[in-house]
Amino acid sequence: MAMASVRNTYFRCIHRNVLYYAQHHWKLTKLSSPSVQLFHAAPDLLQFESDTAFKSVNGLVYGYRLSMLSRRQLCIGSNVSSENQSMKKSAESTSGQVEKKEDLPQAGEPTENTSGQGEKSEDSHQTGETGKSVRGGPVSWLSFLLLVTTGAGLIFYYDKEKKRHIEEINNASTAVKQGPSVGKAAIGGPFKLVNHDGKSVTDKDFLGKWTLIYFGFTHCPDICPEELLKLAAAIDKIKEKAGIEIVPVFISVDPERDTVEQVREYVKEFHPNLIGLTGNADEIREVARAYRVYYMKTEDEGSDYLVDHSIIMYLMDPGMGFTKFFGKNYDVDQLAEGVIKEVKEYKK
Amino acid sequence: MALETLYPRNSNRIHTDVLAEARQACYKTRDAFYACLEKESHKKPTEIASVGLLYPVECKKSRAEYEKQCRRTWVKHFDRQYCAKKRVHRLLDNDESRRGI
Repeated sequence: MAMASVRNTYFRCIHRNVLYYAQHHWKLTKLSSPSVQLFHAAPDLLQFESDTAFKSVNGLVYGYRLSMLSRRQLCIGSNVSSENQSMKKSAESTSGQVEKKEDLPQAGEPTENTSGQGEKSEDSHQTGETGKSVRGGPVSWLSFLLLVTTGAGLIFYYDKEKKRHIEEINNASTAVKQGPSVGKAAIGGPFKLVNHDGKSVTDKDFLGKWTLIYFGFTHCPDICPEELLKLAAAIDKIKEKAGIEIVPVFISVDPERDTVEQVREYVKEFHPNLIGLTGNADEIREVARAYRVYYMKTEDEGSDYLVDHSIIMYLMDPGMGFTKFFGKNYDVDQLAEGVIKEVKEYKK
Repeated sequence: MALETLYPRNSNRIHTDVLAEARQACYKTRDAFYACLEKESHKKPTEIASVGLLYPVECKKSRAEYEKQCRRTWVKHFDRQYCAKKRVHRLLDNDESRRGI
């Protein structure tokens, strides 16, 4: 009977203390609320646990806990308040008893301090018990699942993007190799010169056929003859191998000495198709500038001189657009190969 | 020969000494001279050619031939070329002998 009355008072008015005690006990069993854990040291709990005076209380607390869960309201509740009034007097009397029974120092003081915490942990305990919401801790199964899903999604997305990017680069690089529309050097341009027959020609007269242009001068000791022989041989070889007609052109960079007759005699010896071009100083300067040709007179014997110049053959397509240049390092076969290759690629 | 090269711009004179035949003759004498140089390389070069090239007395005759056949500027040009080639050879040879030091 006494037990019953005690239970009732606990149930109604001194629920705060009960909560606190219950919290203690629950903590031992569940250890779910960190805030309460921090506050209460383990030895205290053990001490509390071993107190025989509260063994009955503990037993009551279990039952009380269940009833509390069902209520979910701590201090303010309609069903609680109705019974409150009747039990107030008995509660006051028993509260004194409870106080005396408790000899633990932390019982009195921490109650007020941790009441709020106790309530909080009570709440969390309650919700954790039901298992529906996940306010127990920062990490729960659901959040973990979300994290994994997001991570996997991100990885897949970036992987796909990277593959796409690499493919793009590959396509771009292969495209560059094949297409002639890469962008060419700005070599070539309009010119007006006189050919070895004395006829005035412009660059338009060379449209429609491939041309291989060499800049030199007739008074060249060894290099120009060598190059022109190479050019002539390559022209023949290309004709033989691929049946392509290439027009060889020789443009003089020594307008002072290379007259039309001089040029005619000169080119005659190399190849019947070789066209020699010359002009006055201005015209030569213009064409040399268009083709980026370096040439400079080197003063030697006073009247006689040599002309230092770049040793390059320019391959121009039927539209008189620059295609490729060949230097001194190409021999006859390499030159022929190179020209054939360029012509074939152009036709594609 | 130098006078031959002087001509006004409107002249119809053709310089035959730069055409194929003359060129070939020039090359022949040039090669002969340089061969002589190679052959007599162990002899002390005392004669002066051009652009710093020296040659031994034994090759004097071929030198004369050479200078007759080719234009002056061409002679100089070839001599310069020869000197450069020799220098490179010397450099390479020296390097090989110095390896291991």
